[in-house]
Amino acid sequence: MTTLIVIDQAPYGSWAGREALDMAFSLAAFDQPAAMLFTGAGVNWLRKGQQPASVGQKSAEKNLSAAPLFGIEVLVADKRACQHYGLDEAEMLSGVELSDNIQDLLSSHNQVVFAG
Amino acid sequence: MPNSLTYTLVITGAPWTTQAPQTALMFARAALSAGHRIDRVFLYGEGVHLASNLSSPPSDEIHWPHEWAGFLTEHGIPAAACIASALRRGLVDETEQARYELTANNLRSPFVIAGLGEWVEGNLTSNKALYFHGGN
Repeated sequence: MTTLIVIDQAPYGSWAGREALDMAFSLAAFDQPAAMLFTGAGVNWLRKGQQPASVGQKSAEKNLSAAPLFGIEVLVADKRACQHYGLDEAEMLSGVELSDNIQDLLSSHNQVVFAG
Repeated sequence: MPNSLTYTLVITGAPWTTQAPQTALMFARAALSAGHRIDRVFLYGEGVHLASNLSSPPSDEIHWPHEWAGFLTEHGIPAAACIASALRRGLVDETEQARYELTANNLRSPFVIAGLGEWVEGNLTSNKALYFHGGN
Protein backbone atom coordinates (compact mmCIF):
# COMPACT_ATOMS: atom_id res chain seq x y z
CA MET A 1 0.00 0.00 0.00
CA THR A 2 1.36 3.42 -0.95
CA THR A 3 0.39 6.63 0.79
CA LEU A 4 0.70 10.15 -0.52
CA ILE A 5 0.79 12.82 2.17
CA VAL A 6 -0.34 16.18 0.82
CA ILE A 7 0.65 19.57 2.24
CA ASP A 8 -1.38 22.41 0.80
CA GLN A 9 -0.94 25.08 3.47
CA ALA A 10 1.93 27.50 3.96
CA PRO A 11 4.41 26.71 6.73
CA TYR A 12 4.32 28.39 10.17
CA GLY A 13 0.72 29.66 9.99
CA SER A 14 -0.74 26.45 11.38
CA TRP A 15 0.51 23.14 12.73
CA ALA A 16 -1.21 21.04 10.08
CA GLY A 17 1.78 20.86 7.75
CA ARG A 18 4.14 19.88 10.55
CA GLU A 19 1.75 17.16 11.64
CA ALA A 20 1.49 15.95 8.04
CA LEU A 21 5.25 15.69 7.98
CA ASP A 22 5.15 13.59 11.17
CA MET A 23 2.68 11.25 9.47
CA ALA A 24 5.03 10.77 6.51
CA PHE A 25 8.01 10.07 8.78
CA SER A 26 5.92 7.67 10.81
CA LEU A 27 4.93 5.64 7.74
CA ALA A 28 8.56 5.50 6.70
CA ALA A 29 9.60 4.41 10.21
CA PHE A 30 7.23 1.45 9.89
CA ASP A 31 8.60 0.63 6.44
CA GLN A 32 5.44 1.70 4.66
CA PRO A 33 5.86 3.39 1.28
CA ALA A 34 5.21 7.11 1.62
CA ALA A 35 5.57 10.08 -0.68
CA MET A 36 4.80 13.75 -0.18
CA LEU A 37 3.13 16.25 -2.45
CA PHE A 38 3.41 20.01 -1.90
CA THR A 39 0.73 21.98 -3.65
CA GLY A 40 -0.97 25.38 -3.36
CA ALA A 41 0.64 27.52 -0.66
CA GLY A 42 2.25 24.30 0.62
CA VAL A 43 5.09 24.65 -1.91
CA ASN A 44 6.55 27.35 0.35
CA TRP A 45 7.70 24.55 2.67
CA LEU A 46 10.32 23.81 0.02
CA ARG A 47 12.01 27.21 0.03
CA LYS A 48 15.69 27.27 0.94
CA GLY A 49 16.93 29.43 3.78
CA GLN A 50 13.82 29.58 5.94
CA GLN A 51 14.44 31.47 9.19
CA PRO A 52 11.43 30.75 11.40
CA ALA A 53 13.32 31.31 14.67
CA SER A 54 12.16 34.94 14.57
CA VAL A 55 8.55 33.75 14.88
CA GLY A 56 9.48 31.20 17.55
CA GLN A 57 9.27 28.11 15.37
CA LYS A 58 11.64 25.37 14.30
CA SER A 59 12.68 25.13 10.66
CA ALA A 60 11.32 22.18 8.73
CA GLU A 61 14.11 22.49 6.18
CA LYS A 62 16.41 20.00 7.91
CA ASN A 63 13.61 17.47 8.31
CA LEU A 64 12.62 17.79 4.67
CA SER A 65 16.22 17.50 3.48
CA ALA A 66 16.55 14.30 5.53
CA ALA A 67 13.31 12.80 4.23
CA PRO A 68 14.98 10.47 1.69
CA LEU A 69 17.36 9.19 4.38
CA PHE A 70 14.40 8.30 6.57
CA GLY A 71 12.79 6.34 3.77
CA ILE A 72 10.30 8.79 2.30
CA GLU A 73 10.33 7.82 -1.33
CA VAL A 74 9.88 11.14 -3.03
CA LEU A 75 9.04 14.79 -2.44
CA VAL A 76 7.00 16.24 -5.28
CA ALA A 77 6.15 19.90 -5.88
CA ASP A 78 3.23 20.99 -8.00
CA LYS A 79 4.94 22.95 -10.79
CA ARG A 80 2.02 25.29 -11.35
CA ALA A 81 1.88 26.19 -7.64
CA CYS A 82 5.65 26.86 -7.68
CA GLN A 83 5.18 29.28 -10.57
CA HIS A 84 2.27 30.91 -8.80
CA TYR A 85 4.39 31.52 -5.69
CA GLY A 86 7.50 32.54 -7.63
CA LEU A 87 9.50 29.57 -6.43
CA ASP A 88 12.07 28.51 -8.98
CA GLU A 89 14.32 25.50 -8.76
CA ALA A 90 17.35 27.50 -7.64
CA GLU A 91 15.47 28.59 -4.52
CA MET A 92 14.14 25.15 -3.76
CA LEU A 93 15.54 22.42 -1.53
CA SER A 94 17.49 19.88 -3.55
CA GLY A 95 16.02 16.53 -4.46
CA VAL A 96 12.46 17.75 -5.03
CA GLU A 97 10.70 16.52 -8.16
CA LEU A 98 8.50 18.91 -10.10
CA SER A 99 5.22 17.61 -11.46
CA ASP A 100 3.19 19.01 -14.33
CA ASN A 101 0.40 16.60 -13.67
CA ILE A 102 -0.46 15.94 -10.06
CA GLN A 103 -3.59 14.09 -11.14
CA ASP A 104 -1.45 11.13 -12.19
CA LEU A 105 0.42 11.28 -8.90
CA LEU A 106 -2.82 11.26 -6.89
CA SER A 107 -4.23 8.31 -8.80
CA SER A 108 -1.02 6.28 -8.50
CA HIS A 109 -1.35 6.03 -4.68
CA ASN A 110 -3.74 3.81 -2.71
CA GLN A 111 -4.24 6.48 -0.11
CA VAL A 112 -4.08 10.25 -0.21
CA VAL A 113 -3.90 11.95 3.16
CA PHE A 114 -4.19 15.57 4.30
CA ALA A 115 -3.27 16.24 7.93
CA GLY A 116 -6.08 18.74 8.36
CA MET B 1 -14.23 -5.61 -2.21
CA PRO B 2 -16.55 -7.29 0.32
CA ASN B 3 -20.03 -5.90 1.07
CA SER B 4 -19.10 -5.43 4.69
CA LEU B 5 -16.17 -3.05 5.14
CA THR B 6 -13.85 -2.23 8.01
CA TYR B 7 -12.89 1.36 8.76
CA THR B 8 -10.29 3.35 10.60
CA LEU B 9 -11.61 6.84 11.39
CA VAL B 10 -9.16 9.69 11.83
CA ILE B 11 -10.49 12.86 13.44
CA THR B 12 -8.37 16.02 13.21
CA GLY B 13 -10.94 18.69 14.04
CA ALA B 14 -11.71 19.67 17.64
CA PRO B 15 -15.23 19.66 19.11
CA TRP B 16 -16.89 23.11 19.36
CA THR B 17 -14.36 24.41 16.87
CA THR B 18 -15.28 22.22 13.94
CA GLN B 19 -18.03 19.84 12.91
CA ALA B 20 -15.53 16.98 12.45
CA PRO B 21 -16.30 14.96 15.64
CA GLN B 22 -20.05 14.99 15.10
CA THR B 23 -19.80 14.18 11.39
CA ALA B 24 -17.50 11.29 12.28
CA LEU B 25 -19.91 10.03 14.95
CA MET B 26 -22.85 10.17 12.55
CA PHE B 27 -20.82 8.29 9.98
CA ALA B 28 -19.75 5.69 12.54
CA ARG B 29 -23.34 5.05 13.66
CA ALA B 30 -24.54 4.81 10.07
CA ALA B 31 -21.69 2.46 9.14
CA LEU B 32 -22.45 0.08 12.03
CA SER B 33 -26.16 0.04 11.29
CA ALA B 34 -25.37 -0.82 7.66
CA GLY B 35 -23.34 -3.85 8.83
CA HIS B 36 -19.85 -2.40 8.51
CA ARG B 37 -17.21 -2.40 11.23
CA ILE B 38 -15.16 0.39 12.82
CA ASP B 39 -11.74 -1.07 13.65
CA ARG B 40 -10.44 1.95 15.50
CA VAL B 41 -10.63 5.69 15.93
CA PHE B 42 -7.49 7.83 15.88
CA LEU B 43 -7.44 11.42 17.10
CA TYR B 44 -4.78 13.62 15.55
CA GLY B 45 -3.89 17.31 15.76
CA GLU B 46 -6.75 19.37 17.19
CA GLY B 47 -8.89 16.23 17.20
CA VAL B 48 -7.30 15.15 20.50
CA HIS B 49 -9.52 17.62 22.37
CA LEU B 50 -12.35 15.14 21.85
CA ALA B 51 -10.70 12.92 24.47
CA SER B 52 -10.70 15.55 27.23
CA ASN B 53 -12.40 14.75 30.50
CA LEU B 54 -12.63 18.44 31.38
CA SER B 55 -14.84 19.77 28.57
CA SER B 56 -17.95 21.27 30.15
CA PRO B 57 -20.30 22.69 27.54
CA PRO B 58 -23.54 24.47 28.50
CA SER B 59 -26.22 21.96 29.46
CA ASP B 60 -28.32 22.65 26.34
CA GLU B 61 -25.44 21.64 24.03
CA ILE B 62 -24.49 18.11 23.11
CA HIS B 63 -21.43 16.90 24.99
CA TRP B 64 -19.40 15.39 22.13
CA PRO B 65 -16.61 13.79 24.20
CA HIS B 66 -19.29 12.13 26.35
CA GLU B 67 -21.27 11.02 23.27
CA TRP B 68 -18.17 9.59 21.62
CA ALA B 69 -16.97 7.82 24.76
CA GLY B 70 -20.39 6.20 25.17
CA PHE B 71 -20.44 5.05 21.56
CA LEU B 72 -16.92 3.59 21.78
CA THR B 73 -17.66 1.75 25.03
CA GLU B 74 -21.00 0.40 23.82
CA HIS B 75 -19.45 -1.08 20.69
CA GLY B 76 -16.04 -2.01 22.10
CA ILE B 77 -14.18 0.14 19.58
CA PRO B 78 -10.60 1.11 20.53
CA ALA B 79 -9.73 4.79 20.26
CA ALA B 80 -6.37 6.49 20.64
CA ALA B 81 -5.16 10.08 20.76
CA CYS B 82 -1.78 10.74 19.15
CA ILE B 83 0.75 11.25 21.92
CA ALA B 84 2.63 14.13 20.29
CA SER B 85 -0.59 15.98 19.45
CA ALA B 86 -2.00 15.28 22.92
CA LEU B 87 1.02 16.38 24.96
CA ARG B 88 1.33 19.64 23.04
CA ARG B 89 -2.30 20.42 23.73
CA GLY B 90 -2.43 19.51 27.40
CA LEU B 91 -4.19 16.18 27.13
CA VAL B 92 -2.49 13.62 29.39
CA ASP B 93 -3.16 10.28 31.02
CA GLU B 94 -1.77 9.12 34.37
CA THR B 95 1.43 7.79 32.83
CA GLU B 96 2.26 11.06 31.08
CA GLN B 97 1.25 13.02 34.18
CA ALA B 98 3.85 11.09 36.15
CA ARG B 99 6.48 11.28 33.41
CA TYR B 100 6.24 15.07 33.04
CA GLU B 101 5.42 15.69 36.72
CA LEU B 102 2.17 17.47 35.87
CA THR B 103 -0.48 18.47 38.38
CA ALA B 104 -3.37 16.62 36.74
CA ASN B 105 -4.50 14.22 34.06
CA ASN B 106 -7.57 14.57 31.90
CA LEU B 107 -7.88 11.68 29.46
CA ARG B 108 -11.45 10.46 29.15
CA SER B 109 -12.02 6.69 29.23
CA PRO B 110 -12.02 4.63 26.98
CA PHE B 111 -9.59 6.79 24.97
CA VAL B 112 -5.91 5.89 25.29
CA ILE B 113 -2.75 7.76 24.31
CA ALA B 114 -0.64 6.11 21.61
CA GLY B 115 1.85 6.84 18.86
CA LEU B 116 1.31 7.33 15.16
CA GLY B 117 2.03 3.61 14.80
CA GLU B 118 -1.63 3.07 15.70
CA TRP B 119 -2.61 5.14 12.70
CA VAL B 120 -0.15 3.28 10.45
CA GLU B 121 -1.60 -0.04 11.61
CA GLY B 122 -5.13 1.21 10.99
CA ASN B 123 -4.15 2.08 7.43
CA LEU B 124 -2.80 -1.40 6.90
CA THR B 125 -5.56 -3.44 8.50
CA SER B 126 -8.79 -1.61 7.66
CA ASN B 127 -10.38 -1.66 4.22
CA LYS B 128 -10.62 2.10 4.34
CA ALA B 129 -9.23 4.97 6.41
CA LEU B 130 -11.52 8.00 6.52
CA TYR B 131 -10.45 11.48 7.64
CA PHE B 132 -12.65 14.02 9.38
CA HIS B 133 -10.98 17.43 9.17
CA GLY B 134 -11.86 20.81 10.52
CA GLY B 135 -11.38 22.45 7.17
CA ASN B 136 -9.42 25.62 7.89
